[in-house]
Formats: sequence, structure tokens, C-alpha cells
Amino acid sequence: MNFNLSTKRSQKTLLGAVSAAALSVLAIGQAHADPITVVSWGGSYGKAQDAALFTDASKNSGIEINRESGASMSKVVLQVESNAVTWDLVVSGSGSCAAAAAKGALEKIDFNVVDVSNFLPNTYTDYCVGSDVFATVFAWNTDKYGVPGTAGAPNSWADFWDVEKFPGTRSYRLNNVDGALEPAVMAMGVAPEDVYDFLSTEDGIKKAIDKIRELKPHIAVYWKSGAMQAQLMKDQEVDMITGWNGRFDNAKKDGAVVGYTFNQALRDYDGFGIPKGAPNKDTAMKFLGEVSKAKYQANLPFHITYGPTNREAYEVTTAPKELLEALPSHPNNVSKMLAVSLDWYAKNREKAQEMYMELLSE
Amino acid sequence: MASPEINKIEHLNADKLLAAERHENLTIFALSLPALIAVLVVIVIPVGWLFSLSFLDSSGQLSLVNYQKMIEYKSYARVFKTTFNVSILTTLLCILIGYPLAYFLSQIPRRYVGFFMLTVLLPFWTSLLVRTYAWLVMLQRNGLINNFAIDLGLWDTPLKLAHNLNGTLIGMVHIMLPFLILPLYAAMRRIDPHALQAAANLGATPVQAFWQIFVPLSLPGVVAGSLIVFVLCLGFYVTPAVLGGGRVILVSMQITAILEDQFNWGAASALGVVLLVLTFAALFLASRFLKLDEVMFGKR
Amino acid sequence: MTSNASASLTISVTELTKKYGRVFALNAVSIDVRAGEFLTLLGPSGSGKTTLLMAIAGFNRPDSGRICFADEDITVLPPHKRGVGMVFQNYALFPHMSVFENVAFPLKLRKISAEEKHHRVMEALKTVQLSGYAERGIDQLSGGQRQRVALARAFVFGPKILLMDEPLSALDKKLREEMQIELKQLHRQLGVTTVYVTHDQREALTMSDRIAVINEGELAQIGTPREIYNRPANQFVASFIGESSFIPLHRNDSGQLVHESVAVLPVPNEETGKEWSLVIRPERLLLEKPKAKRTNGKIFFDGVITELVYQGETAIVMIELGNGKIVTSRANTRAGDDVDSLELGQKVSVSIDKNDAIVIPGGTK
Repeated sequence: MNFNLSTKRSQKTLLGAVSAAALSVLAIGQAHADPITVVSWGGSYGKAQDAALFTDASKNSGIEINRESGASMSKVVLQVESNAVTWDLVVSGSGSCAAAAAKGALEKIDFNVVDVSNFLPNTYTDYCVGSDVFATVFAWNTDKYGVPGTAGAPNSWADFWDVEKFPGTRSYRLNNVDGALEPAVMAMGVAPEDVYDFLSTEDGIKKAIDKIRELKPHIAVYWKSGAMQAQLMKDQEVDMITGWNGRFDNAKKDGAVVGYTFNQALRDYDGFGIPKGAPNKDTAMKFLGEVSKAKYQANLPFHITYGPTNREAYEVTTAPKELLEALPSHPNNVSKMLAVSLDWYAKNREKAQEMYMELLSE
Repeated sequence: MASPEINKIEHLNADKLLAAERHENLTIFALSLPALIAVLVVIVIPVGWLFSLSFLDSSGQLSLVNYQKMIEYKSYARVFKTTFNVSILTTLLCILIGYPLAYFLSQIPRRYVGFFMLTVLLPFWTSLLVRTYAWLVMLQRNGLINNFAIDLGLWDTPLKLAHNLNGTLIGMVHIMLPFLILPLYAAMRRIDPHALQAAANLGATPVQAFWQIFVPLSLPGVVAGSLIVFVLCLGFYVTPAVLGGGRVILVSMQITAILEDQFNWGAASALGVVLLVLTFAALFLASRFLKLDEVMFGKR
Repeated sequence: MTSNASASLTISVTELTKKYGRVFALNAVSIDVRAGEFLTLLGPSGSGKTTLLMAIAGFNRPDSGRICFADEDITVLPPHKRGVGMVFQNYALFPHMSVFENVAFPLKLRKISAEEKHHRVMEALKTVQLSGYAERGIDQLSGGQRQRVALARAFVFGPKILLMDEPLSALDKKLREEMQIELKQLHRQLGVTTVYVTHDQREALTMSDRIAVINEGELAQIGTPREIYNRPANQFVASFIGESSFIPLHRNDSGQLVHESVAVLPVPNEETGKEWSLVIRPERLLLEKPKAKRTNGKIFFDGVITELVYQGETAIVMIELGNGKIVTSRANTRAGDDVDSLELGQKVSVSIDKNDAIVIPGGTK
């Protein structure tokens, strides 16, 4: 800068910069910025997060939050692309989160603020921080097919496909190939550890699609959301369904006659992302750091049967043993499950999605 | 003729009058400017944006990939076919149910019309989502209708009323019905009652008068209402999404799927553009066979 | 078209009553229409004339009474079985049909063979001077042409009764006057019993064999145009048909009617009422030359000119009499009549021939 030629204007600029810096220091010092907008999903999932994570984390950190429902990475992408970002912290499935990150719609996580050193492996990326481990399972009407674990009750994807042994209606995922092909492959008798190998060729994907086509006449409804999975089982609209384990536990608490098994289930995680250019991204990052702490995640099992991503949470939690054993992240359960491969989705999702849509439109 | 006096008279005030006319035209233009701008902002720009987006691939490069995909995968053609089939079926059912209703409304004394019109319009004013879910509650496997009928012994196993084409049509017809009835009722009220009296007077029985005079004269209303219903159906989302159970996939649902699960604005826009083009094509065809300007603008 | 009186029917309406709420649209009206007659129902709007016509056509159901065509009681017969032709006020043509299809409509309903149908439609169109218009659409016709199509459609199937509801009211004056003559000629040609509704007294006088004057749901008078004009039965008829000035008269003890203490006329009949009115038609009230001789056959009045209106072939002169009553004279404008020299405020005498004087019972309102 040329101080000799200091004009009125440059003086003003300097003054402005200094005062802005002073103000921002002040703001950080107070930790009392504008409220941030935290967006999750409806139904029991959002309620569980409120109860376990958001309310307490907000109180302890002094960060005020506006809670909204209807989280969707497509809306995040839209907000970012149209330069109209209003959300600060958004819940997402691991796959959508990765896709949004690939589109450049998410802020890079500052791991100095968010401590993931104790996280389970593969439950965070540079753009997403896992909040819970869940499983895509199949659930059924226990009045009709028996209580899980008892003799004669369904226990594998082959049983889900077996409409002679378990006659009745099925429900499968609509419009989204995520978690739709792996069950079909396992139903064909492929071992969980070989599933992604099997699906690595177009021919493999085609075979999986053919397997779903086989079941199609028995699929009475296709579900679109976790809330819908719970509703379908509560209303006994279908007899067997794929879905997210926590939704079924909560449906059961609400009186639904529903049970499921972790056998051959798909282990996956939900997480948080911060939209690129979020209005309060620094505050959001701080809040993300807060809710990722073990003390909050430790409360999650009380409200929904999803496992913490922070290992430390399992140590500090007061949850009883049965509850912990019911979590998809419990070692006993993990061993029965197939971990969802983000790599496979990154490579094959587009193609698989088109093929799955083609099947649905038949 | 060539007398200078006449010339003078011809040109007297001509400039001022011309200026006054220009001023008047300018005023009319200025008055309609807000509307023109509104049309530009809410129609031309978004459609243009949609159009341009559809020619971009996922990395933002100019390409036809979004349209190629529609040819490559059969799902797109199927979804368009389903959309048109469902729209046509809904329109036909609306005519079947709406025509007698509109006829009834047009025949009762005007002072009673208000009440009955209210019963037609009341659903119009309740939330679309509420009505759709109400239908779901009624129609599903353990819904009100199935439970009630099974209790009464009308049928033993639940009928498949929701989560399929049946449910989709029931819900859509219910929601679209007012769009058919309103223009149809207006057209029927416009029919000269003397024309029917004349038919009777000339020897037509009430049934003959209805078919030979009333029905032909009400056709413009049928066409107007049907076109509104048909075009609305083409882009309808909520009701088929909820009541179709994913087994009836319409273009709007395909667009949502592409947006929500793939963030693929280009592909979604391409679908939108094709739907728009097909809608215009359908309207164009309709105008070839029907005298649309009569229907839409009341020309005679 | 071949027709004769035997192809037409009498209509007899007996004590027909129709109430809308508490208002009588028709109050025990009885009218007999002769076979082949052109009868006009004349009255102001709301008088009940259209209600009566619609009852004859079968479009409204009377509360009581009887309607017969010839000897057949058709009071409860539905309209499509009555076989009467009707021309509606707004023509009521079928806009979705061509001229030909409109006229052929009644024939089609009667399952007449295509050949015969074509022949009869073309004949009918020729009768109403619309040959060559058969394939036109209704929207391509002028008001007068539509009128003719409506007419052709009403008589093409050979009805024995033709009803017309103010058929000319939508036409402009010149066309209306042409059509009046044409309708009259057509009636003569078809010989069909015709009931014609109008509120235009001149039209009624022009066209009718007889006129039935209807007022407030009741039959005020029925008679030939001459009878109605020259011998109106009451003040309503006198004022509704033609122009009239009214001058109050009193009956004295010797049975004379007195105007300003001058006995002018004898009481025409047995009626005993004290109050009478002299009805003066303007064209029969003559301006007298100053100092003209006052003959016995005329009644004279003196007054002052209060208004002068020049109307071309005639001029209207309004004269205020001594008692404040205003009478109107319609004077010829020939040079010899000196109308041009009249001035407002000028004192004049007027006279009416006693044979032209009309006396009706009741005072002047």
C-alpha cells in the first residue's frame, strides 16, 4: 500500500477493515452470532435428533438454532447454484452427501473445529461428518410371519424374496437405487462380502435388476421416505418391507406389529454437511463440532436405534446393555452386515439408477 | 378541390390530433407494461432458463446427453406414455361424472346453485395434500372403505384401491372435477333455454332435445373443461405420488426423482422441456380438430 | 305451400289462471281464436300476454283453466305433442346447425324421407325468400334472415297453429315494417291459425284480424283493429292503442253528458255512472279557422297553444283549455292548413266531429 498517496478513500477503507475486524473479534468473543438454520428430516428421526443432540448442544454452546424439516441435498445444491443459501447445517444420507460434495455444494469440514479422532472408520469424509450409524434392513408384520429370531420367521433376503414360504405383499424403495440392488444380490445366494464384486459389472447389475423384477408382482407399494416406511407398517398396508431399522423400532413403540433382523442388513451412516456459502458457516461448523461430541451422541440410542459414530459415546453412555446390543453399530450386529460401499456408488450409481428407474416404469 | 381553403381545413389541427393519438397509444402501452414485465419474469425467463439448462451436462458443458438418455432408456418413454394415459383416463372420468353434475347445476333454479356449487367447490378450498391423504386413509388395504365393506360382508379380501392406478384415478378425478364442472356449468348456463323449448315445440321429446340440442351446445364447455383438466393432469404430482404407491410413475415424479436423488438439473429440465413440447403438441392437435378459439375466447 | 282453412284449428282458452307468488299473471282469461284467424295478444310488458302464449305452446303450466285445440283438451299435453309451430322472440335457432338443418329439424323428428324432407325445406326457404341460404351457418345470417329461418322452421312441418312471441322486436324499424307485411302475406298464404304477441300497438293494428288487449292478467277488450281503435272499451285500451286526450264529462239528470255546463253528447248506453270521459284522437281534433261557424255536429273547445312540434307530414299542436286540461291535435302540414303560422301562446279553437267523439265510462285520471 502506498501511504504517501493516502487519499480520503483509502483511509476510509482502512478504517472500515479495522472496525470490521474488531467487530468480528467481538462476535467470536461473545459466541453469540445469528441463529443458525439446522435442517433435518421429519418423523421420529428429527425428533430423536432434537432430543439427543440439538437442544442440549444449543444450550451448552449458546448457539441459537432454527430447526427446519425437509432436509434434502438437492435443495442444498439448488441453493448453492442459485446463490441463495439459507441453510447452515443439513442432515443427509452418506450417499447424497458424497454426491453433493462432488457437485461442490458443500463446505470443507474444519477438523480443527470438529473432532473426529474417535470416530468409527468410514463415518466421515472431508465434507460430511457422520451423526449416526443405521442399517437398511427388511422388516415384517410379526403377526403374520413370526417374531424375529423365532423358528420359521424370515431371516435372510432370500426369505424376503420367497413369496411361497412367506406369502403376502412387499414394499421396496421408489425412485432411488440406494440400497436397492444389494438385497437382490444376496437373495441370489451371493455372500455379503462378494456383493459389490458381483455388482461391479453391468451384467451383475442387470442380474440384480432381474431379481427385483421377479418380485415386482408382489410389491404393492414403493416407499419414498422413512416416515412412509413406518406408516406402511403401522397401517399394515404391506406385509414385508425394506427400510431403515430405527424407523421400525419407533413404529413398534407406536404400536405397530413389526420386527426386523440385522442379518444381511446394509450398514450405512447419516451425517451433516454445511452448504457452500452458508450464511453462518463458522457458527455452523462450531455447532457441528458440538453435536459430534460423545456426550450428545451417547443419548441417541434412547430415542432411536441408531448407533453413535463417535466411539467414545459407547463408553460414556448410560444406555442399558439391551439397547446397545440393538444398535446397528454394535459389534455383534456389524459382523452380520454388509457395509455400504461409497466407492461402488461413486462409480456405478448413475448407470444403476437409470436401470432401476427403467425397471420401476415397466 | 384544389382550393387552398379546403387544404387548410384538411390540415387544421392534424399535427395535434396525431400527437394526441400517439400519446394515447403510449399510455396504453405504459399501462400494460407491468403485465408485460410480469409475463417476462414469471414465464419467459424461467422457461428459457429451463430450456438452456436442458442442454447442459452434469459438468455444465453444452451437450445433448440429457436428450440422448431419454432415447437410450425406455423408462422415459414409458413414463410419458403413463402420464398421457392417466391424463386421458382422468379427463374421461371427469367428463363422465362432471357432465351430469354440471347439468344438474344448470337446471336447478339459480338461487339453489350457490349451495350446490359450494359442495363442488368446498374441496377446492381445502389443502390438496389433506384431500390426497384423506383418500389414502379411505382407500388403503386396511382403510375405511375396505374395513367397512368387509365388516358388512360385501367382500372378503381387501380390494386394491390405493397404491395403484385405481387410487391414482380416484384421487385425481376428485381433485380435477371442479376444473371441469366450472367451465362446463358456465357453458350450459349460456345455452339459450328457448332453443330447448323450440326443440320441444318442433316435436322433440325431452330425451331427443337433450341429445340433439343440449349436448351439442354444451360441447364447447366440455372441450374447455377437458383441456384444462388434461393439461393440469400432465404436470400433476402430489396426488399420483401419494395414491399411486410408486406403481404409477408420471413425468412429474420422474423429474422429482432426478432432482432429489441425482441433483441432475439438466436431465430434469430436459424432461420438463419435452413435457412442455408434448403439451403444446396435444393442444395444437386439439385445436386442429376442435374450434379452440371459439371455446377459449367465446368467438361465434 | 298449399293450405286452407280446414288445415287450421280453433283455439279456445277458458278461464285460464296462472299466479306467480301472489300476483296473477293470468286471471281467468277466456279467449276463442277462430280457425285461420290472425289474433294478436297486445299489452304492456308484464301484462300476461306472453304467459298466455306460453301456456298455449305448453311451456308453462297454468294453475287452472282449460285450453282446447278444436275439440281436443290439450291443457296437460306436453309441448312436443301439441304440434304447434312457434317463433320465439330471440328466434331460438340452433346455432350448431346450418339453415337447412334448422328447418329440417322438425321433419327429421317426424321421420320424413330424405327426399321429401329436402323438398319441403327448400319450399319453406323459398317461401321466406331464403333459397340459396340453405348451407349457411346461423352465425352468417343477419337478424332479418334469422327471423325468416325461424319462421320457415315453425311452419315447415305444416302445423295447424302458429304462435309468435314478439318475433320482430329485435329488428330495426324499417325491416320490422317490411316483415309485418310479409308475415301478413304469409299468413294469408298458409291460412294457419296464428296467435301473435306484441307490445307494439301499431304492429297489432297493422297485422291482426282481431286484437286481444291484455292488461294486468285480464282481457281488457277483444275486437278487430277498427273496433279497438274506434270504440275502446275503457281508458286503458284508449290510451294504450293510439294517442288520446281525455276530457272529463258529467252526466246531467236528463241523460246528457256535459262539458263545462254545455251538453255535448247523449249517454251512449244504460250505464248510470256520473263520471264519464271524452276520448279525443289527435288526428280527429281539428284546428278551426278564426271566426269559423260553430255547427251543431261538432264539439268546440277554446284554448291556448302550449307546444308545437313539426314532424314532417303532420305537426303536433298542444292546446291548454280553460280548465287546465291539455288536448293534442295532429294537424296536416299542407299549405292550406296554415300550421306554419301558428305560434306558442296563440289563442285557438279546435273541434271534433260528434261521430268521432268516443265516450267511455269513468272519470279521467
